[in-house]
This record gives sequence, C-alpha cells and structure tokens, in this order.
Amino acid sequence: MKKTPCLIFVLTLLQSANLSAQSRFVKDTLDASGDSVVVTATRTERKLSNLTVPVTIINAKTIQQNGSLRLTDILKEQTGINLTSGFGAGIQLQGLNPDYTIILINGEPLVGRTAGVLDLNRIALGNIKKIEIVKGPSSSLYGSEAMAGVINIITDATMGAPLTIGLRYGTYNTVDANLETKLQTKHFQYQGFINSYNTDGYSIRPNSNSRVTTPIDRYSTTQQIKWDLSSQTNIVLNTRFTNEQIQNEIAVANNGITIYSTGKEVIQDINASATLNHRFSKTLKTSIRTYTTTYDAVQNLLTINGLPYRDVLNHNFKRIENQTDWDLSKNIQAVFGVGAVLEGVKSSRYDSEKLRKQNDIQYAFTQWEWKPSEQFTLIGGIRYDQNTQFASAFSPKLSMLYKLNVQHQFRLSVGQGFKAPDFRQLYLDFTNAAAGSYSVFGSVQAQQVIAKLDALGQIGNKFPNYFLLKALKPEYSNGLHFTWDWKINSRSAVSLQLFRNDIKNLIESQQVGTYISGAQIFSYLNIGSAFTTGFELEGQYAINANWSLNGGYQYLRTGDKDQIAAIKSGTVYTKNSQGYSRRMKLNEYVGLPNTSKHKLQVKINYNSPKGYYLNVRAIYRSKWAVNNNNGNEVFDNGDVFASSYVAINSAAGKTFKNGISLQAGIDNISNYIDATNLPNLPGRTFYTSLKYQLQKNK
Amino acid sequence: MKKNLTKITMGLGLCIALVACSKDEETIVVPVSAITVKDLPADTVTGLGADGRPQYAGSITYYSLVNNKIVSKTDSASTKWDIAFSSTKILVNCGTSGPGLGGAFVYVGLFDALKSIPADSNFATDNSNASQYAIPQSSAGWYIYNRVTNLVTPAAGRVLVLRTASGKFAKIEILNYYKGGITPELTALDADKLTKQRYYTFRYVYQPNGTKTF
Repeated sequence: MKKTPCLIFVLTLLQSANLSAQSRFVKDTLDASGDSVVVTATRTERKLSNLTVPVTIINAKTIQQNGSLRLTDILKEQTGINLTSGFGAGIQLQGLNPDYTIILINGEPLVGRTAGVLDLNRIALGNIKKIEIVKGPSSSLYGSEAMAGVINIITDATMGAPLTIGLRYGTYNTVDANLETKLQTKHFQYQGFINSYNTDGYSIRPNSNSRVTTPIDRYSTTQQIKWDLSSQTNIVLNTRFTNEQIQNEIAVANNGITIYSTGKEVIQDINASATLNHRFSKTLKTSIRTYTTTYDAVQNLLTINGLPYRDVLNHNFKRIENQTDWDLSKNIQAVFGVGAVLEGVKSSRYDSEKLRKQNDIQYAFTQWEWKPSEQFTLIGGIRYDQNTQFASAFSPKLSMLYKLNVQHQFRLSVGQGFKAPDFRQLYLDFTNAAAGSYSVFGSVQAQQVIAKLDALGQIGNKFPNYFLLKALKPEYSNGLHFTWDWKINSRSAVSLQLFRNDIKNLIESQQVGTYISGAQIFSYLNIGSAFTTGFELEGQYAINANWSLNGGYQYLRTGDKDQIAAIKSGTVYTKNSQGYSRRMKLNEYVGLPNTSKHKLQVKINYNSPKGYYLNVRAIYRSKWAVNNNNGNEVFDNGDVFASSYVAINSAAGKTFKNGISLQAGIDNISNYIDATNLPNLPGRTFYTSLKYQLQKNK
Repeated sequence: MKKNLTKITMGLGLCIALVACSKDEETIVVPVSAITVKDLPADTVTGLGADGRPQYAGSITYYSLVNNKIVSKTDSASTKWDIAFSSTKILVNCGTSGPGLGGAFVYVGLFDALKSIPADSNFATDNSNASQYAIPQSSAGWYIYNRVTNLVTPAAGRVLVLRTASGKFAKIEILNYYKGGITPELTALDADKLTKQRYYTFRYVYQPNGTKTF
C-alpha cells in the first residue's frame, strides 16, 4: 500500500505532461493542521486552503534548512521561476521578464530597477517569517508591475526568540553575519535585525582575471515595531536600510576593443512605513498605511584610456493608502482601498541628473468575496489607476475556488495586469560612447531631441518608427490560471496548474533613425504582443516520519505574436550553413529569448526528531536562446543557446536543545559553470554556519 | 510580397541559378549563372597598435562583376569596377564613389526568387558627404552587428540589387564576412574574430544583356 502514492504521482506526472498545465504548494508542510495564513492573495488574512488563486508559501524553516542567504537563493529553487542575469539578479516568473513581477516587503513595493530588473541579492533572508508568491496578474490589488505575479516578503515581530546570532563562512571569503533581537510585551513587540554580507567575489571565466561577481560589502538592517494602543487599535512601524558597496571591474568590448574600467558602486536603499490599524467592530476594520522609500545608486568608474564615468540613479516613491475591510454578511466580504503615489527619478542617464522626473498616481480598488457554501468561493476585484504621465489603467480580476471534497480542489482565475511605462522608457537620454556612440532617447522627448539634432545637421536618417513615436501606453497582460490540487492521502499530494499570459502593448526599444555617422538612435514604442503558456506540476510525498520528497516541474512555451505572424506570412528568413537565405518555418521558431521549455527541481528532505536534518536539491533547466546569430531578428534553432544544466545543492545540520544550531552545505556540487550565461552561478561552493537562539524562559 | 514561387531548391544556387520558367512566361530568358566569390579581403587588420587596438589601412577593394575580378585601386576613378568593399561599407560605382552609371537598393526576399527587378524599383546612389550610401550601413542594409559578441552576420533574406558601372544589372547575396566563409564561434577570442573578419564571401548573378531579368 505504501508504494501506491508514489506510483500515482509518477503516473499523474506522465499524463499531465501530455495534457499541459501548473501548481502550488505549501513547501514542506503536508500537515493539514498547518494551514498557513496568506495575506498577499487577497490583501486580507486568508487560509491557504481557502484561496482562489495559486499561491506558494516558503516558510522560514525551509529557507534556513536550505542555507539560503539572499532572496535569489530560495527563489531559484521554486517551480516556474528562473533567475536572470544582467543588471543584477532578477527573476523570471512563468516566462515573463523581471519587470513584470512586483516585489513587496511587508506589502510595500521595492523600487530601484535598472533596465527593469530589481537585484534581489539586495534582500537578506535572515529575519523573515515567510515568502508568499502569487502567480498570475494581480494588478487588481497591487497596480503596476503585478503582471506575472507578486512576491511578498514578510517579517513578523510577534514570534520567535528574543535573541538570535548567526555567523556563516563560505568559499570566496563569503561571510554572512546576523543579529536579531526581539522584545515582546503584552502590548508592544519589537524586532531588530542587522545583517552584514561580504564576499571577495569570484572569477569563473577561463584565462581572465576579471571577476564575474566583484567584491561586495552589503549591510542591511530592519526594525519592526508593533504597538497595541488598545484592543481595537494598533500601530506597525517598519524601517529597512541597505547599504551596498560593489567594487567594479568592467570590461566593455566594442569592435574588438576592450576598455577596462575600475571603480565603485554604492547603493543605498531606505524604506520606512507606518500603519495604523483600527477595528470598529467585528465586521469592520480599516488601516491607513504610509510608506516612503528611496533608492540611491552611484557608480564612479575610471577607465584606463578614457574619461571618468559617473552614473547616478535616485528613485523615490511615497505612498499613502487606506484600506477598509467590511464583512457585509456571513458570506459576503468586501475590501475597499484608495491611495496616492508620488514617484520621482533623477538619473545621469536623463537629460539632467539634477532634475527629478515626476509621476503621480491616484488609485482606488475594491474586492468582493462571496462564499455561498463551504465548497464554493468567488472573488471579484477591480482597480483603477490614474496617472499624470501615461494612459490610465483598469485592472479587473475574477477568481474562484471549488472544493469538490477533501481531496480535490479546483481554482480558476482570470485577470488583467499592467505595467506602466517606466522612467527609463519615458526619459532616457543616453549615448554610449564606449560602444559605437549609439543613443537611446525616452519616448517623451525623443522627437524633440532628434528634431533639435536634425536642425544642427547631425541626423542622417529618420526611420518610419520615428514618425510613430507618441505617448506610451501601459503594457497589458491577460492571465488565465487553472489549478487542480489533489490531496491523494495523508502522505502525498499533487498539484497541477495550467497557465496562459497574453501580453499586448509591449514596450520595446526600436531604432528610429541614425546619426550622420551612421550610429543608431533608439527610442521606445508600444509595438509587441507576446504570450507565455504552459503548466506547472508539483508533488510531495512523505516517505516516512523523517524522509520526504518534493518536486516541481514547469513546461513553458512562449512567443512573440508579431514574429509568429511574420513567419506564417513567409517574410522571415534564415540562412543555411552556406549562407544562403531561405524562408523560416514555424516549427523552427523557439519563442522568446531567455525562456526554457523545461525546468525541474527535486528535493529530498530528512528531518529527525533529534534535530538533525539533511536535504539534497537538484535543479534542472533546459537550454534557452540568448543571442541572434543567423541574420534574422527571430529566435530559431540556428541561434545561440545557453546549454541546459543541472545544479545540485545540499545542506545538513543539527539544532540542539540549548538553542545552538550548526549547518554545513555545498552548493553546485557538480561544479557546473557557464560564465557567459550564468554569471550568478559560481562553481562549487562550501559553507558552514553557526547559529545561537536564546531560548525563551518558560 | 508574395510571388508565385516555385519550389526553392537551396543547394542549386552555388553553381547555376536556373531560371524556372513559369507557365505564362513569354519573354525568352537567357540563362545566367551565379558566381560565388570567396574570401574577398576588405580592409583587413594590418596589426595591433600600442594601445592594443587593431589597425587598418582604410583600404577599399574594388571589384568588377563583369569580369569577376579585383580591380586595381588606381582605377578607382574609372568605370572598370562595379562594387567596392571596405569593412562593412559597400560602395557602388556612382555618385561620390565613382563616375559609373551605378546604383543599388536592398531587396527583401530570396536570391533565387528574384527573377526580375520590379519596374518601380528605386536605385539609390552613394553620397559620402551625407554618409548615405546606396547600400545603407544600418539594420536596413546587408548585415547585423551584434554588440555583445562583436560579430557581423549577413542579414537573412536580403539581396543587393545593383546597377553596374555600365548600366547593366546584377543581384548579390552576401554569404559571410569572415575568412573561409565561417563565422567564428561567439566565444572565440577577440583576436580571432579580428583577424578573420572583413573577408567577404558572396554570390552574384550578372545579366549582361541589359534586361532586369535573371
């Protein structure tokens, strides 16, 4: 009897591979009594089993036992998520670029994206309680950027040991130190956290001294205060401060000439929020949230044979918001919210680094939950965002849950997400003297700037795209997610999710003209439309009380709809090995770059009652297109791919009763290296850590 | 764009571009053959400077499509040449480049499928003063330059339609930009990419009878 679930799991896996679909899970918790509370999915506290949309929860224990230090460490081991490189480490969720996932800390968004990418290595995991990942468009609650999904990192002052000290040492002189203190009285809770992370960086490029990851010193501290003013009213204060110093050794190659630069990049990230929660009655509560954040990055470089280079980015974001939750009746609950955002960016890549580019947003949202029976829940929501700089956006979403019985649950959600044009797309004024003197101008001023240059006789050609330049519209996505959760028995469960995202109005950089010298001029236009679709399958199986197995697989197909139409109409060409052109066939098309058809991860987990644990995690990613190489702008098999790979990570440790815990781990055991395409994957690394938790007096 | 294409047989192009006569063909077409020119140097690297930058002489290679051979630089001001190459820049014997009757444009489509030059085609001429050439040095031209890998790849589906110095017509497909007709691996050393680049391999059909059909 014991072997049956495993067999069913395998069978399901095989069957669904043909069917096509995805999934969700509480990592490492098979226990039904451990039904976690999720806030991100509905902006209200809901039990995971009552949610209508797919949510993944990563809890603190998993993070700790995996030996994950930074947010990227744990996200890359999740189903449907791949890390991206370039402009820091971002994540690709269900095939969508890092721009399309909003990252929240305690519900408030992080800012400071470079080329759309938020470097998730900025986020230390030492003090967090859990991470919630919502897949699918969630703009109906969160507005811009929540197109692919939402990742919310949650800390909690109300739980845990009064004092925790952690120290870890690993390969490349990587030292990570944590200090966390908690003070808990009946009406007042405080959590303070300090983390320092220092590494020498590493060089994995053969015959090269240039480090792929350069020496980094990161410090971050967070403070959280919860203060109960009365039994109905409390205040929550959060602050976070991050300072990052990165030594730069940059090599820019152009036409065979490599220019080496050295210097330093200093990044500061400050977040502060204050929330007042008040409950008027059992059925009515409200909260007022204020939030401010500033991201400040300064890069100073000295080039060997050129001018000093300075790059400045300062992004600030202020928000005030009110949310009211009202239970109208036993089975109807409503949420209302209004808010305003003031956002501004200063950058040396804009026309003036002194002038702040400003955008103001006002928004309102509402969400209605109707639960006619224990089996059925329906949630509808809509949000309206009004902006000063670009067209406004309506974001509706409808989702439902049907519990057939204890074993089977079905979820279906349909929603629209959007991403506002970012400041770069609106205001960039950048000429890359190091690489061919090409220029990129944001859409707001491209026509003016080019007209001005033209008057000075500097413009060679204006392309048809130049005349199409106009105010950018937000990018939209329509997402459809269907999930089937099957709890086979007390030891095993599988989950299957089918997803499809259709994106239109994609903002892409396009050549709009040339200088007299022939150098290219680019700007941004709403031109593209694309899709990502596939399925995710997750499963877990408790072999016995100590051993468990879980895994996840994603099958992904992507495509640019305009390119597909062009291929079908016979206007896309490719070259054979002799250099002769021929028409490209649709079955040669591989979809969007940087997307892999398959991703699989499997984890074996051991936990003994005596506090010993061991885990082995294997991650497989199939090949992905990185570069056009055969003379068309469409990705096909003749282009350049990054090879598929497997990375195996393992960690083991013991937690003693006196509060001391020890851990040792190896990441990338097989020492897989691809310096070009996976700069964030160092070779084999080792680490060991010691942690002490002061036990509470009982 | 859609023309009545009979099957395009790729392998044939090397030797002879057979003129497939459509059923309703009336004019008698003189068969003209495709010629492949290999490894034509076009201002190749001469050495490395003290700063490590590659050095070039800035030379131009003049070519006669009529005679299928290189024309001496001393004849650059004559009508002996039809097309000239210098790094990624392609010159045509016309305008600021030479005294010939030349002209050119970039046709988007397949080499073999271009049976006759459309009557409304607009042949451009070179104007170096405005950095404007009949074969433009941009994504609308014949090649794609990859900023990451520093490799130059001929764009697929581009045919250079040329009016020669004497006013006859030819079509050209650039096949490769590197020595031996093989683009170096992306991961090849810069030195390798530099020393092998600027060698043109191309095929062309020249129509000596003055018509626009091939």
